Amino acid sequence: MAKIEFRNVVKRFGDVEVIPDMNLVIEDGEFVALLGPSGCGKSTSLFMLAGIYVPSGGELLFDGHVVNEVEARDRNVGIVFQSYALYPHMSVRDNILFPLRFKKTPRDEALGRVKGAADLVRVAELLERKPSELSGGQQQRVALARALVKEPQLLLLDEPLSNLDATLRLSMRTEIKSLQEKLGVTTVLVTHDQIEATTMADRIICMRAGRIEQIGTPDDLYLRPASLFVASFIGSPPINLIAGEAQGGTVAVNGAKFPVEGASGAVTVGLRPEHLRFGDSGFTGHIVQIEPMGREILYVVETGIGIIRVLEQGSSATHATGEKVKIGFSPENSLVFETAHQKLLPGAHVHAPA
Amino acid sequence: MAVKATPAVFSAPEPVVDWDVLAARARGLRRAKAVVLYAFLIAVSLPIILPYFWLVTIAFSAKTGVAETAVLWRSMAVVVPTVIALWLAAAFAQSRRQMWIGMGAVAAVAAFAFALLVGPDLHIGNFIFLWEPDFASVVRSRIGEVKGAVQFPNVWHAFGNSILIAGTQTAIVVTVASLAAYSLSRFQFPGRSAMLRSLLVLHAFPVLTLIVPMFLMLYWIGLLDTLFGVILVLVAFELPFAIFIMKGFFDAVPWDIEMSALTDGASRRQAFLSVVLPQVRNGILAIAVFTFIRGWEEYIFVFTFLIRNTNWTMSLYMYWVRDDVMGVDYGVVSAVGVFYLVPSLILYLAAQRYLMQMSIGGVKG
Ligand SMILES: Nc1ncnc2c1ncn2[C@@H]1O[C@H](COP(=O)(O)OP(=O)(O)O)[C@@H](O)[C@H]1O
Ligand SMILES: [Mg+2]
Repeated sequence: MAKIEFRNVVKRFGDVEVIPDMNLVIEDGEFVALLGPSGCGKSTSLFMLAGIYVPSGGELLFDGHVVNEVEARDRNVGIVFQSYALYPHMSVRDNILFPLRFKKTPRDEALGRVKGAADLVRVAELLERKPSELSGGQQQRVALARALVKEPQLLLLDEPLSNLDATLRLSMRTEIKSLQEKLGVTTVLVTHDQIEATTMADRIICMRAGRIEQIGTPDDLYLRPASLFVASFIGSPPINLIAGEAQGGTVAVNGAKFPVEGASGAVTVGLRPEHLRFGDSGFTGHIVQIEPMGREILYVVETGIGIIRVLEQGSSATHATGEKVKIGFSPENSLVFETAHQKLLPGAHVHAPA
Repeated sequence: MAVKATPAVFSAPEPVVDWDVLAARARGLRRAKAVVLYAFLIAVSLPIILPYFWLVTIAFSAKTGVAETAVLWRSMAVVVPTVIALWLAAAFAQSRRQMWIGMGAVAAVAAFAFALLVGPDLHIGNFIFLWEPDFASVVRSRIGEVKGAVQFPNVWHAFGNSILIAGTQTAIVVTVASLAAYSLSRFQFPGRSAMLRSLLVLHAFPVLTLIVPMFLMLYWIGLLDTLFGVILVLVAFELPFAIFIMKGFFDAVPWDIEMSALTDGASRRQAFLSVVLPQVRNGILAIAVFTFIRGWEEYIFVFTFLIRNTNWTMSLYMYWVRDDVMGVDYGVVSAVGVFYLVPSLILYLAAQRYLMQMSIGGVKG
């Protein structure tokens, strides 16, 4: 197990600076998620950890030792690639055995460990098959077994669930999480799917264009998003963003006024759909679409200031398409951002439900 | 409140569609297409099959000094209907099983007819060169002439030379092309794209234009009239295309599995050997087969650069046999031809399964 540290790490490909300056500490045994939109440098960061890419600047530390120059094969890192990257010409057994070949593990012990790893991810009956004879979910488990068989000090998962169907994704999420808890291995999960990140990771590192936007627990990111980017990236259905004005610590939006410490100038008010409710006052509009989501109903409302989404508990709709409605909110649930810097104003965040 | 749109009501009667007529028309069209296709296949396959068939028939039936063509016509009377019947069997079979039964029946009938019409004329006397190095004199003496003009080496010697040239050339081309193509596919280095472009340009020129300079070069480095000299020339001409083909194969191997091997503890070389190379197996097999056959059938360069008859390859042997005994005994010439053909045939048959499925087997997601 290892404690990982990025110190001013830079990564360039030719003239393109993909990671300008990355600083990050991952504690021993922690499960963190690198979350961000496609192309923001998540895989690049992961590959630097694996030793596949060499940082262009800064220092990468494992347990306090600089490993910038240490070769991938000497790092004892297990990695599951987005495509699983199983070796197509080898049986599942040989795939899982592959990392042990280079460790000069005695044959009997190696086979025992393969068996153990295969049991762990429940692919023991597939050992004789070729990867092409496995389903996506099975390939994924094999890739996990191969990453785990060498008992890595660091486990890296690059979008491990993105090629699975929705049901499988749900069960693999649980499985990977409990596996990580059982083994206690430091784990970095790369994903562009906020639900994956919030459900699995202890801490989330939200990235945008190569920079870390915010680091925090899933709750931190949801209730106290540091920036407009994080607020709109986290949460499904997405947060409603409404332009407002502030003066001397008072925010005015659509006629409603409420105090927010330090607010002045143009602000953007973020309102989560589940914090809005239909009432006698507030934003007026009419319902253009109703999306039942199981235990909740999502109403898409067209108002004078744009589309607003409202989430209501319950499994049957209490309103109809075309109906005129007014949408109200409580100030304590509003996230107020400075429009100019896109940053959250201190003193404006959603309070965790009691 | 939401206003429901009333669906438009169509009062016009629907036109009557006769599905059977449509189906019959589609069936007829498919039949017609199949007939045209098979007619075309018969038309192109006959001219290819016939010469080879004649070659074999002549090799096993012609007699010294006798210019007799009746057996050829009789064999043709068997082959042409057989080829047509085979295609028809393929065309009209409703299932794979029927096709095999039909083809089997055609083959059985053809074999019987062949044994009846051509069988009595068959013999292996024309393959005399396999056990009699001075066969030319023997053949000539049969018609009264005393001696052949050409001093022939043992045919097995020429056979060995050909195997040596084709085999060595193949080994070198496969090794160098794999390594070069891997580097071109994976690494960025100055001059990479220029190199890629020149690979294609090199292949575009007719190699014969270089025959005089090559001759001089070989002469000056002292490799004229050596097998190794010819091998070098052949390798040089074969490499660009082989590299190009192999680069395509390497390009199709995902980076992931290589990176994965590296994190699994392999060195770059181990990753190449144990993970990347097996993915391009079909490509290696393809260039190996084609390079070998190219070396096996090589004629111009060996004709120009090899002089001593102990350096003769099968193509030179064939050439001189034709030159020396053609007028006397075309049966022997054909027999040498058949002997020359057999290794290529065996190689193709052995590798055919892999050449047919020349694609990369990746892992599906
Ligand atoms: N080997 C490479 N060479 C050049 N550019 C690269 C390379 N790998 C990644 N990039 C670029 O770096 C950026 C980040 O890529 P990546 O880390 O793969 O993003 P993601 O967050 O989707 O995993 C992308 O713009 C990509 O084009
Ligand atoms: Mg990625």
